[in-house]
Amino acid sequence: MKFSYSKFPSSPNPAFPDKKHVKRPVVPIEVKYNGNKIKYLALIDSGADFCIFHAQIGEALGIEIKNGKVLEFYGVTGEKKQAFFHNISIIIGGWEKQCYCGFSHEFDENKMPYGILGQKGFFNLFKVSMDYEKEEIEPKHKENC
Amino acid sequence: MTNETEKLLDLSKILEPYSDEWVALSETGEKVVASGQNVKEVFKKAKEKGEELPILTKVPKEYGNYVL
Repeated sequence: MKFSYSKFPSSPNPAFPDKKHVKRPVVPIEVKYNGNKIKYLALIDSGADFCIFHAQIGEALGIEIKNGKVLEFYGVTGEKKQAFFHNISIIIGGWEKQCYCGFSHEFDENKMPYGILGQKGFFNLFKVSMDYEKEEIEPKHKENC
Repeated sequence: MTNETEKLLDLSKILEPYSDEWVALSETGEKVVASGQNVKEVFKKAKEKGEELPILTKVPKEYGNYVL
């Protein structure tokens, strides 16, 4: 299945004076745990080492966030943060995959409003092609995963 | 798996009134069905309105410019 890029509100700035919106590889995914399911927007980010979602999403699914394995990580700002990892399922384009994914209370939703689909948990399971001009994203699941 | 393409999720206008809130979008992403300060509250409100699997997202005060 192909997805389209998503458009979000934005404002002109000196570098991009005509900017009215921003187009990003953000797709709806389903996050599943213990029979509970939530659909949530996530950014495909090949620069992220793993998948990370907001703690509130995990809590709404019934996950005891702090019972997971802890990992300290750095965002682009260089600030050290903590995430707690849990085994969940994600469903993308109809494919359900097991995903070892981090949840963080320090993953600031006002700076990053989307979940992050990174290398481990997403790119290791899907071969992804993105075409900015055509506004298309095509994740193809790898048969052996 | 089908070869269909999901429609462009154009949220550039409909999210503007919901700055700093979590929102639940309809299944097609065409309208906001519920909003509030946290995920559990917004998910519950959307389900009460008959939206079985709404699309949740946070609307930040500013979408900013990323280099990730």
